[in-house]
Amino acid sequence: MNMKSFYYLFIFTVLLIAQISWGQEPRVSWQRHTPATQPDLQLFHSPHGIDLPTASTLQKWDIEFEISHRFVPTTSSGIDGFYGLDGPVNMRLALGLALSNQLVIAVGRTNYNDNLDLGVKYRFLQLRSKQVPTVLAVRLGGAWNSDPHYREIANRSKTDLHNFQAFGQLIFNSSFGRKLVIGLVPSYLYNADIRWGPETVNTETKDILRLGTLIQFYVSPLWSVLIEWSPYLAGYKRLPAQENNPLSFGIELETGGHFFKLFLTNNQYLNTSQYLAGTDIPVENNDWRMGFMITRLLKINPKR
Amino acid sequence: MRMIFHLLLLLFFIYTGLTAEYQVDKSQKNLVKFISDAPLESFEGVTDKIDGYLFFEGDNLLQNSELYFEVDLNSLDTGIGLRNTHMRENYLETSNFPFTHFTGKLIHLEKTSENSYQAKAQGKMFIHGVEKEMIIDGVLMQVDDGFRIQAKFITPLSEYKIKIPKIMFFKLDENIQVEVDFYVKRVEKP
Repeated sequence: MNMKSFYYLFIFTVLLIAQISWGQEPRVSWQRHTPATQPDLQLFHSPHGIDLPTASTLQKWDIEFEISHRFVPTTSSGIDGFYGLDGPVNMRLALGLALSNQLVIAVGRTNYNDNLDLGVKYRFLQLRSKQVPTVLAVRLGGAWNSDPHYREIANRSKTDLHNFQAFGQLIFNSSFGRKLVIGLVPSYLYNADIRWGPETVNTETKDILRLGTLIQFYVSPLWSVLIEWSPYLAGYKRLPAQENNPLSFGIELETGGHFFKLFLTNNQYLNTSQYLAGTDIPVENNDWRMGFMITRLLKINPKR
Repeated sequence: MRMIFHLLLLLFFIYTGLTAEYQVDKSQKNLVKFISDAPLESFEGVTDKIDGYLFFEGDNLLQNSELYFEVDLNSLDTGIGLRNTHMRENYLETSNFPFTHFTGKLIHLEKTSENSYQAKAQGKMFIHGVEKEMIIDGVLMQVDDGFRIQAKFITPLSEYKIKIPKIMFFKLDENIQVEVDFYVKRVEKP
């Protein structure tokens, strides 16, 4: 074999090896470059407990319509009062709008004191722990009692500053497994007793701090049970008919765009600045009111 | 000797040069749409998160063709956040099966115009942990450096072990219509 033949053979061998190696490579070079999308954590399925907020929010441009009732007479009214369902009722109508996937603004009105509240909820942290995923949010807002029923302030102007209240809630939600979710909601209410003002002896503004607690167990994709208790921690709690801690328990049914909650409660108040002040019936009385909340999600995104 | 060498060299370059791989072009406006048309409510779920490839040898799309396309189900948007959550958690179980995919090959091509083919792909559809044989009809349109692919097909949820609650409140169709419209572009092997 001369040098020329050797050279050709060498080149051919190199090409052959290259060809064999090429042939052993995968035919296709495609590989997945991006991992699956991670959706936001929504531990409680609903943005609301019975009274307390959860850290769950809405999707951007979702609108949430809410109607809630608390039947004022209690179950002890018996069949004559149809266990409270004959009424009267305190009711709340509210509308929420998600300005982003983290931020929801909502306005609600209840007929009790014609209280109108505005709240902004912002979810600021998600901890994707496998054992105890946790979500944190904050809710801030204010309320205007445009027609308070107290005799002491009957002559007060509707727009008097003392008719306004403010509240702040820090919301911790954690889930234990897929079915059990717990919420802690330390809540602060400023101007808890709107009766105090220039026309009364005691002009000092009152405030109150409560620890809202919410536990929900998801029995199935459709049904869950929930209980909510908001014990007093500090501050003022001598507002007449609001000296006690609210306790509520019931069931929740969820569908594609609705939540239905049916529950028993010792609380007759619906807006945040009202239930944070307290309720009238002590739990020990074992006397309950019926209540419900229905929320419906709508969409305003013109593309959809 | 010299002739044999040149022949081998030629074959080598011809062979390596005549395979084609096309990957999903994410810069394009891709769309995957799921349509549920239940009696009480119709809705769509949409996403642009489709990825995958089309591969074939020579200039014949049917020759040793291979295709794989997957959709990121967590990105599916039905328009309402709560419904998205329900779809993900209760029905598609995306924590276990975050992607759905179709893998197979082209089995039929018919030129319908200068740049357009009526195509048929045969393969396996994977949804919710279940794999099913399937034939999908679609259209391939030649664009600058690749193809635009459009297809429509029906996926019966029960075949993929997705249970729909039999109560009046739930409004999900048993047969979900799927529409895809996306682009693939030619890539060079690294």
